[in-house]
Amino acid sequence: MSRFVQHRWLVLLLASFAFLFSSCDDKTEQREKLIMVTSATFPPYEFYQGEHIVGIDADMVREIARRNNIDLIIEDMAFDSIIAAIQTGKADVAASGITVTEDRKKQIDFTTSYVKADQVIIVREDSTIDGADAMKGKRIGVQHGTTGDTYVTTNICEPERFQDGALAVASLATGKIDAVVLDSAPAKKHVERNVGLKILPVSLASEEYAMAIRKNRPELLKMINDTLTAMQADGTMDAITAKYQSKEAKEADKAKSKGFGEWLSHSFEVNFLKDDRWKYLMNGFWVTIEISFCAVLMGLIIGFLVAVIRSTHDQTGRHKILNFLCHIYLTVVRGTPVVVQLLIIYFVIFAAVDISKVLVAIVAFGINSGAYVAEIIRSGIMAVDRGQMEAGRSLGLSYGATMRSVILPQAFKNVLPALGNEFIVLLKETSVCGYIALQDLTKGGDIIRSQTYDAFLPLIAVALIYLIVVVCLSQLLKKLETRLKKNER
Amino acid sequence: MNADTNTILEIQNLVKDFAGHRVIDDVSFGVKKGEVVFLLGPSGAGKSTVMRCMNFLETPTAGKVLFHGQPVDCSEHGLNLYRRRVGMVFQHFNLFANLTILDNITLAPTSCGIMKRDEAEQLAMQLLRRIGLEDKAKAYPSQLSGGQKQRVAIVRALAMNPEVLLFDEPTSALDPEMVGEVENLIRELAQDGMTMLVVSHDIDFALELANRIIFLADGKLVADAPPAAMTTNENPRIRDFFSLR
Ligand SMILES: Nc1ncnc2c1ncn2[C@@H]1O[C@H](COP(=O)(O)OP(=O)(O)OP(=O)(O)O)[C@@H](O)[C@H]1O
Ligand SMILES: [Mg+2]
Repeated sequence: MSRFVQHRWLVLLLASFAFLFSSCDDKTEQREKLIMVTSATFPPYEFYQGEHIVGIDADMVREIARRNNIDLIIEDMAFDSIIAAIQTGKADVAASGITVTEDRKKQIDFTTSYVKADQVIIVREDSTIDGADAMKGKRIGVQHGTTGDTYVTTNICEPERFQDGALAVASLATGKIDAVVLDSAPAKKHVERNVGLKILPVSLASEEYAMAIRKNRPELLKMINDTLTAMQADGTMDAITAKYQSKEAKEADKAKSKGFGEWLSHSFEVNFLKDDRWKYLMNGFWVTIEISFCAVLMGLIIGFLVAVIRSTHDQTGRHKILNFLCHIYLTVVRGTPVVVQLLIIYFVIFAAVDISKVLVAIVAFGINSGAYVAEIIRSGIMAVDRGQMEAGRSLGLSYGATMRSVILPQAFKNVLPALGNEFIVLLKETSVCGYIALQDLTKGGDIIRSQTYDAFLPLIAVALIYLIVVVCLSQLLKKLETRLKKNER
Repeated sequence: MNADTNTILEIQNLVKDFAGHRVIDDVSFGVKKGEVVFLLGPSGAGKSTVMRCMNFLETPTAGKVLFHGQPVDCSEHGLNLYRRRVGMVFQHFNLFANLTILDNITLAPTSCGIMKRDEAEQLAMQLLRRIGLEDKAKAYPSQLSGGQKQRVAIVRALAMNPEVLLFDEPTSALDPEMVGEVENLIRELAQDGMTMLVVSHDIDFALELANRIIFLADGKLVADAPPAAMTTNENPRIRDFFSLR
């Protein structure tokens, strides 16, 4: 399969930036361990089983690492980010069903290919579509950035692009689209697990998968290629592929024909209870809370500082340079999407640093939130009656002391509702953490969906959890507000 | 320069422009120790501006402000020290909305390091007793009437033990029935020998209390004389003003 034949400008841009920033750093060469990146929502090549990422690609690299006595670390991230991770040296090898293309060869080196894959068409059993030609004018779903996406876009029509295959198949099953073009192996899995779908016996494009490594690493390339050749020769490769393509997973889900109650309890069992899948949500929930909480604190601190600098400048003309810097900060942060900021901070600013992703997310969201908090607090400061500052100054209090004891407490109270709103927005914005492979709440739901092929229940569960957190947060803020209001006014 | 060592606060040739527009034009006068001086004049004459310049809430365009005959040190720190000696009471009270009445009074003495917390609280309670508001110590400004707020604002300034108090229309924002209580407090202060400069529209109050009245019109000083001389002044603007009584 081959996703990301179609590069987004963003990834290209980031990759080239990252390359510039990190080209002089070769510390990856000295690592005793091998870091593999993959996008683990693509069964049977890579997907989660409990805490572990398994699948054909994962097992293949595990075997390579074992045979060469290297420790292996597998990291999960959005497919879009994988090439950038290789180029910046954040990872050594990418194995994620990556299709060999000329475009990509310019950016990274490919190992010898280890899988041949076809693009196939999935339709509903009662569909009249019987081949590529019949798809013209229909609504076709693809996974964003995959070969299927490119094929359909260039040869048939503008497709509907989904974040993962499971969502595309779910849309097909519910009649929102008429066909899905996917890699054959995952397509088989999807059809096994969903009622009323079939794969057409034609293949659209044939291609090869290979692993990607950073350019100019001949020893690594040779090591992997040699091992792959050996695995091919002794049958290990076939064994791994066969293991995942067997029909073990027939178990479930022909259940939709049952009554709603039965379906629900069955789905609940599969999505949440089986293999302790609820833990994905639970762990994701804590990651989301941790990131949001720390980012809120950081945002508050930055926001307070920036707001005070800006209003001090407005009122007294002091801190010209600081004010200018703050102005740039506000313009840049408020002028760009938070996802882009997150990716830039991870791939460019911290490109050469081995840093916890949670920390990266906290920094990114903290910096982002700080800009909004700054403007909120500044508006709160401006809303405080001028006489308050004058009274403080006339008593001989310094500007700073008056600010601290009189102005900021009032400003804070004024803007508490707006701040609360900002925190709620922040909490939900952290759902883009999956882009740097953090397993937050949203990603937890994605993982469950990729395992169970059920788009609905995990999504609803994720939505419910966010909703509950937001409602609790709102209540808490309301309490705080009334407590602050009680005394005054 | 030290012609009169009793002069606490003095302005010399004060000029203030707002955006090129001259609002105060060459005004000079002084306030002696123990004196009560009223600053009168029609609306827009520049009374508030003069007073705010004396406290550097506005920066004078030209001219001098002398404190005990010395030009005021206009550095940040110098101004803080100067302002501790020169209290100010505003038309709109400007009590700190986020602090209790007690904290309103103790904030400046404690943060400026003049008093310890318990000392300052004792003084504050003593001042509140004097104006009969000791039961409001834990209340917030929003829970007080206008007259009560202004009296608290006055004792807040007193807590710094200033040498001179500046009042900018202390009763103008009050309902008529509350004017009396504030004027009584100012009267008491005058009896205690407090040095005060008062901007007011209340001519009767000025005539009763003032040792001197300064009359300002269109940013210029028109007259500076004892109350008796004012009522008989032939200047048409002054005559018109006092005829409003
Ligand atoms: N911050 C300012 N910017 C521009 N013009 C101002 C400012 N403050 C005052 N002025 C102008 O200066 C002049 C004098 O104003 P000031 O407030 O000192 O008068 P006042 O004698 O106190 O009047 P009132 O009796 O109405 O309080 C007015 O024309 C006013 O419009
Ligand atoms: Mg005025």
